[in-house]
Amino acid sequence: MLRLISLFLPTVIPSWRFFQTVAPSPRIEYRLILGEQPGDWHEDRPRPAHLSFAQILRRMLWNPDWNEQLYLVSCAERLIEAPSQHSLDEINTRVARLLPKGPQLLQFRLVFVSREGARIVKLVEYESTPVPLAGLQEEAA
Amino acid sequence: MNGAAVLEQGLAAGFTAGLTEGFTAGQAMGWMQLLLAFAIAQQSLEHLLRGDRAIFGARLLLCLVMALGIGGAWPVWGLWVISLAMLWRYQGPYNGGSDKMTMLILSCLSLAHLSTTPFWQEMALSYLAVQLVLSYFVSGWIKVINPEWQRGEALRDVFRFSAYPVSEALRSWADHPRLLFVMGWTVMLFELLFPLALLHPVALKLALLCAAGFHFSNACFFASTGFSGSGSVPIRP
Repeated sequence: MLRLISLFLPTVIPSWRFFQTVAPSPRIEYRLILGEQPGDWHEDRPRPAHLSFAQILRRMLWNPDWNEQLYLVSCAERLIEAPSQHSLDEINTRVARLLPKGPQLLQFRLVFVSREGARIVKLVEYESTPVPLAGLQEEAA
Repeated sequence: MNGAAVLEQGLAAGFTAGLTEGFTAGQAMGWMQLLLAFAIAQQSLEHLLRGDRAIFGARLLLCLVMALGIGGAWPVWGLWVISLAMLWRYQGPYNGGSDKMTMLILSCLSLAHLSTTPFWQEMALSYLAVQLVLSYFVSGWIKVINPEWQRGEALRDVFRFSAYPVSEALRSWADHPRLLFVMGWTVMLFELLFPLALLHPVALKLALLCAAGFHFSNACFFASTGFSGSGSVPIRP
């Protein structure tokens, strides 16, 4: 109950502190592991190189993929700040859902991108325990 | 959620305008419920593709009932309960500040429906109006006191490495520091001056027009309104 209240109160007494500072930004990368052979790391849902204005307008009305991507960013941040099984499960399941079925294990890591002076730096802050892909895909179905 | 989020902000702002231009609380609530029904229905349809069909099917149905004006306060209360269930299901907002704004509007509407006198009804809705004004002013204030925003560096970082730009091509905007400096200060001044718009009906209409442009450009660049950054995403409080 206390947890629910702590989730509810910020919605009715909001802080409204949008864009106060630009904190390190997480990217989710995953790899598939077959036996002892880990594959390469891939970025989950890389953004498109370019969008036309018409596509941008259409995505204002219908864009479930982007909204899910932003939700995953939230989960990634929560996983660092206040680790929970919920955030871990949400990332695992939603990453697995987009992958082809297979016997591999799925592992993801969180790479935080930030600026140090004029340089853009990337830091791996989390690596998950590999879990069977098939099990996750069953959950997601 | 993007179009819906713009609409939510719009209806909250429009409601503020309504109060200052002589709408009764009942009229304002009628318009809000209609627009909110559209915004929530659009979100719910997007969610239905991702699962949790029991929650979002029920949510969609309640939106339809609310839009048709059936059932009095019950669809509003029902949507409030579902929003609470969503907070639990996702352990926070799914659509960032958009979900928070939906919950705020539904909470104020629910309280207004519970009120037994017009005075308390107006108080419940006035709380929403105050929060709407604060959403701009506080957001502008915390930026303007930040040296990174003053120098235009923060907005460059948003384009450079944040999770928000909708395409890689948009990241090249970070290479135009003067333009982003002007854009950053335009946003800050608009947000800080927004409360003054309540002093005159013409000023309010002008401010709402500026707000529409502001949220439209956010939607183009980041596929979101400013509300997406309200809680747990990289550009954090």
